[in-house]
Amino acid sequence: MTSVLVVDDDQDLAEMLGIVLNGVGIEVDLVSRGDEVLDVVRNNPPDLILLDVMLPGLDGVEVCRQIREHSIQVPIVMLTAKGDTHDVVLGLEAGADDYMVKPFKPSELVARIKTRLRRTTTNVKGVLTLGDISIDVVEHTISRGSKEIPLTRLEFDLLVALAKEPGRVFTREALLSEVWGYRHSTDTRLVNVHVQRLRAKVEYDPENPTIITTVRGIGYKAGASGPRGK
Amino acid sequence: MQKIVERIRRSLTLKVILSIVLLTTLVLAIVGATLFARISTGIKAEKVDSAISEAAYTIYFAQTRLLASSRTDSELLRAAKDIVNSQAIGSDVSSREIILIRGVRNIDPEVPIDSVSNQISLSTIPNSLRNKVSTSGNISWDFVNTLYESGKLVPSVAVGEEIQVSKSGTYEMYVIFSLEPQLKALALIKNYLWLSGLALLILITFVAWLTLRQILQPIREVAVVAERLTTGALDLRIDVHSADEIGRLGLSFNEMARSIEEQIRRLENLSRVQQQFVSDVSHELRTPLTTIRMASDLLFNARESFDPAISRSTELLLAQIDKFEKLLEDLLEVSRFDAEVANVKPEVVDVRALVSRCMDDLALVASDRATSLTLECVGEDLSAQLDPRRITRIVRNLLTNAIEHSEGKAVNVSVIAEDHSLSIGVRDHGVGIDPTNHHRVFDRFWRADTSRSRARGGSGLGLAIAQEDARLHNGQITLWSEPNEGAHFTLTIPKKFGGELINPALHH
Repeated sequence: MTSVLVVDDDQDLAEMLGIVLNGVGIEVDLVSRGDEVLDVVRNNPPDLILLDVMLPGLDGVEVCRQIREHSIQVPIVMLTAKGDTHDVVLGLEAGADDYMVKPFKPSELVARIKTRLRRTTTNVKGVLTLGDISIDVVEHTISRGSKEIPLTRLEFDLLVALAKEPGRVFTREALLSEVWGYRHSTDTRLVNVHVQRLRAKVEYDPENPTIITTVRGIGYKAGASGPRGK
Repeated sequence: MQKIVERIRRSLTLKVILSIVLLTTLVLAIVGATLFARISTGIKAEKVDSAISEAAYTIYFAQTRLLASSRTDSELLRAAKDIVNSQAIGSDVSSREIILIRGVRNIDPEVPIDSVSNQISLSTIPNSLRNKVSTSGNISWDFVNTLYESGKLVPSVAVGEEIQVSKSGTYEMYVIFSLEPQLKALALIKNYLWLSGLALLILITFVAWLTLRQILQPIREVAVVAERLTTGALDLRIDVHSADEIGRLGLSFNEMARSIEEQIRRLENLSRVQQQFVSDVSHELRTPLTTIRMASDLLFNARESFDPAISRSTELLLAQIDKFEKLLEDLLEVSRFDAEVANVKPEVVDVRALVSRCMDDLALVASDRATSLTLECVGEDLSAQLDPRRITRIVRNLLTNAIEHSEGKAVNVSVIAEDHSLSIGVRDHGVGIDPTNHHRVFDRFWRADTSRSRARGGSGLGLAIAQEDARLHNGQITLWSEPNEGAHFTLTIPKKFGGELINPALHH
């Protein structure tokens, strides 16, 4: 059974989230303090974490950073009351995969959780190579030579989405729809931040990327950027 | 010349110094001239006095001698010569000459004894003086120019009187004193007067310049600070160095600046607190609203199993939560506009696609109201640089309004591209808006209750937000409407973000 860890100090909301998620067959654990999250995640790894930003003990952004620093690649969805603020970008940069702005509809939440739990790469089989990186889609691992590079599931999905059609230019909207499951979303911060995070892990020089390159004014593509490539 | 006049006009220092120089020169000239005239008169009068007394003595002495001398002609002549020469070689050799001349009315003297010292010309004595001497019979004087044989003229004072010579009758004797030493002294005095006048002029000018500088420097400083204050450097103050009037000016200026700054900061703070409060309230409401929404969704999904009244209640509950949520979102957006923290992310967008997407999204709402949506595009290039989120929001808002008030008639959407601008028009054929209310439709929470019902009801902030969004694009939303003819809202924005609408066109 799928288990989701809900981290929220608002007991009523946490309970309500529990009721809604239980209703769709998801098991829920509740934690109300930020500084307790890491222990719980280590002892009892959930399939996904719903993380409020405002938390006693340790705020959500810090919790996120802590989890990623311990190489725990569990999907994290931030819950925020301020969709327009810097908090969102900070959370994404700290390693959150996605965010939801309160108030959200239960159906939206469930859909988002299911997208994050579903592999978007099931239609791709075998091993992809991109530069000197090989991507084992079945095993969900990527490696450079014999060295494995740890990626979160979302980063893996993003890389595969680009790598399965090397050279094709993906708009940010296309990636949002393919990897995050958004329709008509214009929040390109999600894509930008995760491309940066991915580059930090797979590129030799994230400032001059060769594996995931930016196509100015359009989006991203896998592989060097043509004749002007660096 | 023009330039000099302009410079003087613009500089207080130059103006003041120029008038001081002119006035001082005038006063110095008058004082100098008067002073010189008085000194000159005084010196000459003193010389004339001493000349008269000396001449009187000399003439008396000569008279005695000439009357007492023997009656021989040669003796008389010698005596006359002696008088002329010896008197001429007096104590002051160079400054005294003597003329012994036959009287005006002495026509035929027995022995003519005209005699002059040092070969000076007889014409030295003007006729006027001679007449005065002969008619008055007293001692008389006048200023003359002594003419020497060499042609040299020496300014002098001549004192004369008639004397009686024993054998030759009436003679006139003149003692001539040179005025050269007096004139030399006067020339020297004149030079000193000029010099001291000039020195005084320079001194006064310098003092004036110094004073002006002392007064004007702080005033200039005040002017500079005042200019910078108006451009927003509210914390700027003047350095006050003195406790005098200028210092007081600085102090009161600073006091004024402080009070203005305080007021502005207070108002800024007030509005910041107010906006922060609105924003905080909106945010704080979100968490409980999330719980409420989830709970009501749960109830709503289970409404089949409730009895009709409760079932309907859950429907109403959910609908009101939707409305509440929208209101909250719009309030937050408005508070962002008010705080001027709305950030715009412009990108080049195909406007036709953007409008089509909005129409697709609202197709269901439109069909609910039996309203058809049409799109007409005019122009070659229908792309523009804009913030898609904001423009989408405007279009959705205009469309929603139009559909709501369409009364089942078609809603026509148009995208018209011009050279530098692009307009999106939304036209309905419903009840329209009374012209007296046209200017109010963009007001916050304004509702045309009579003609435009609250049937579905937005937050009441939709058009206010739309107008702010348009403004962020340097664009505008215009309205044409007639009662029962429908309404036509047109959004016009420059194609290039940050550009200006050159000729804001009104499309009907």
